[in-house]
Amino acid sequence: MGSAVVIIFYGSILFCLVGVVVRLIKFIKMPVHLKWEFYKGSSIYEQMEWWTKEQVNLWEKVKSTILDVLLLREYYHRNRPFWSVLYLFHLGIYLLILWHVWLFIASVAVEPETASTAGLIWGHTATALAFIGGLGILIKRITDSELKLYYPPLHYIKWVVMLFTLLEAFYAVQYYFDASMPALLKYVKTQVTFGDIEHKLHPPPATAIHVLLASIWLIYLPFSHIMRLFLRYYHYLVYDDVPNVKGGPMEHKIRKLLGLSVSWSAPHIQKGKTWGEVATEIPKELSKGAAGK
Amino acid sequence: MKRIKVSDISKNNEEQLLHIKEEELMQLPYIGEAENKGEPVKPLTEKQQAGFEHSLDGVSACTIPKPKDKEEEERFVRSFLEGLKKLISEKDNWTFLQQLLLSLDSCAKCQTCNDACSIYLGSGKQDIYRPTYRSEVLRRIVNKYIKKGGKIFAKLTGSDVDLNWATIARLAELAYRCTMCRRCAASCPLGCDNGLITHELRKLFSEEMGIAAKELHDLGTVQQLKVGASTGITPPAFKDIVQFMEEEIEEKTGKKIKIPVDKKGADILLIHNSGEYLSWLENPEAFAIIFEEAGISWTLSSELYGYEGTNYGVWYDDIQFSRVALKHIEIARKLNVKKIVVGECGHATKALVVIADRILVDDMNFPRESALPLLYDLVCNGKLKLDPTRNNFPVTLHDPCNMVRLMGIVEPQREVLRKICPDFREMEPHGVDNYCCGGGSGFAIMQSMNFPDWRSAVSGRMKMKQILEAFSDVISPEHKKYVCAPCSNCKGQIRELFNYYNVNEKYGIYYGGLVELIVNAMVDIEKPFIEWDWH
Repeated sequence: MGSAVVIIFYGSILFCLVGVVVRLIKFIKMPVHLKWEFYKGSSIYEQMEWWTKEQVNLWEKVKSTILDVLLLREYYHRNRPFWSVLYLFHLGIYLLILWHVWLFIASVAVEPETASTAGLIWGHTATALAFIGGLGILIKRITDSELKLYYPPLHYIKWVVMLFTLLEAFYAVQYYFDASMPALLKYVKTQVTFGDIEHKLHPPPATAIHVLLASIWLIYLPFSHIMRLFLRYYHYLVYDDVPNVKGGPMEHKIRKLLGLSVSWSAPHIQKGKTWGEVATEIPKELSKGAAGK
Repeated sequence: MKRIKVSDISKNNEEQLLHIKEEELMQLPYIGEAENKGEPVKPLTEKQQAGFEHSLDGVSACTIPKPKDKEEEERFVRSFLEGLKKLISEKDNWTFLQQLLLSLDSCAKCQTCNDACSIYLGSGKQDIYRPTYRSEVLRRIVNKYIKKGGKIFAKLTGSDVDLNWATIARLAELAYRCTMCRRCAASCPLGCDNGLITHELRKLFSEEMGIAAKELHDLGTVQQLKVGASTGITPPAFKDIVQFMEEEIEEKTGKKIKIPVDKKGADILLIHNSGEYLSWLENPEAFAIIFEEAGISWTLSSELYGYEGTNYGVWYDDIQFSRVALKHIEIARKLNVKKIVVGECGHATKALVVIADRILVDDMNFPRESALPLLYDLVCNGKLKLDPTRNNFPVTLHDPCNMVRLMGIVEPQREVLRKICPDFREMEPHGVDNYCCGGGSGFAIMQSMNFPDWRSAVSGRMKMKQILEAFSDVISPEHKKYVCAPCSNCKGQIRELFNYYNVNEKYGIYYGGLVELIVNAMVDIEKPFIEWDWH
């Protein structure tokens, strides 16, 4: 049992890292798509000979992305009632992520006995925010007849597990570690430094359950909305508005893609030819030579 | 109102999922009982009902014939599944694969986008018209039938759509209940593009199963590639039209203009939607008057494909889209012009300037731009002598989605109107937040069975509301009012809307392009260029 917990804990971290990397590589390696953007305001196309003008500044895009992700601005503007609970949840999660980073660093960099109780307040506040927000989301999705049409049973199970994870984390810190920052930091230190294997092999239920629940979320992370959000902004930052310049890297990519063969079956498409050929060699029955006189 | 579940689409019977009723549609201001048709969408005749799929909402856009036997039904399902596999393969669908997978994967089902959809709102919030509805159907089909092990936990994961003839036929029709204005995509916090999913569905049906609205394919791109234009105008007919334009310009303005055709080495090749030559000749005439007045080096092309800017492929078929776009570039190269300028046509501009950007390599990568920045330059930098008092009537601006939200050309046309129309007023909302005219993605030209009724009663309803509200302070017919729509397809749709709701006669609202207003304000033309006759 104990060794299973250890394997699941470290295994899930490894799975999460590998999963994220594989998913990113898979996505990034997908072929560049046709230019298909939308705009929140004026663009370069408002200028004559736009191809000679400066493209949107990358820093502007990065700034906009950071603000979107941190404040969930789109939800704020488009769906204010939902934003309130969604933001509480996300704020709690952001604070929890930062708290864990701080715990990892502090556990090896700070003398545990000197740790301030502010860290405890930070963790509990973050957990409470995430819990209240998550509960709000769940209630909304259970009670709204419109939303109910779209969410499958698995979705509700996921949120119940999320709320249980948060509750259990609160229990572990407050009761198992007796709300003691030094005790918590010592425990984290053994995790970070791979120490005290004997203790890990015989974990108390409170930490074992927390490890199991955390592992579930680590395994889920590569498939979660967080990844989706990243992929959305990756596209926005990398492809949005990048023009195809003669002799440039985009043209190089496109030339390769035009060499892929096509297998669509409709009668107006020459199955088996390359994309470039199909686009330039119009079948006789479609061309003027055969039917257009 | 009856709730329609996502899985209802797979009810394998002929029962309509939705019956459109007048009392459930969004309310319109000023439109009274007389204008309401009682039954907003005429039912299909018994013969049509017996022959064609209509079980989505009683409307047939694609004229899909009903299957003759079980074997045909099964072939239909197999063909759809084959197409679906190709749709998510790099080889066959590199053009939009990344965007498609992201959109299939990223929906949080929060339904935020629904309130952005003019069709959903216009219909009185009917479930099947949600931007999320058709996407969710496709998502559930992919999860269940394409992903490994999809059927095992189908109930738990909500993958409850069964594949049968009715599901697929309804889905094909549903792909023609979205104008692809992508207002929903712009409002999605996670970047899920339901408009793109519509596009991809149409592509699957066209490129694999040979199913498309006939006005887009047979009478659209196929006709364009055969005779030169989707309107059927041939090169000799085009030359006659140009001659007629010269005569009419002289008659209207006293100006003797020789319209340049096939002039090699000109700075600009101007391409219009050929619908302008048939329905709104005053638009290309106004362009000619402005360009000649400003001393621009320009030309039209009378070559096959050179006088037709439309590219309906952009709405349903990447292959047809690419073929047409490449033809446009070839013409420009042959004439050795410096750049292509696309006239007042939203989809033609977006297709050639933006989307085609990533199919053009080497010398085919040719400079292309919209006419709107050039018109801004001519008007706002004093290159034309204009008297705004000649446009002393209420004017509002319709923002064509393709040029505004989907290209970010927001200000040039507004600046022009501010300069030459003293009573210019905005619709609400406007700019990148505009609502589609309801004729986008080919709807404006689609005439199948009772589809035109649906287009006016449902998809154009929001635009009708916006127009009436923009003129609410001058609504009586003695005030002549002008809706400026710098896009051929939008004009076509607005014409249909005004006919359907009898708006021109009852409220004195007229519509037209931007260049007509510019010429109307030119000081050296005696008679008003805008004649206010309904056409």
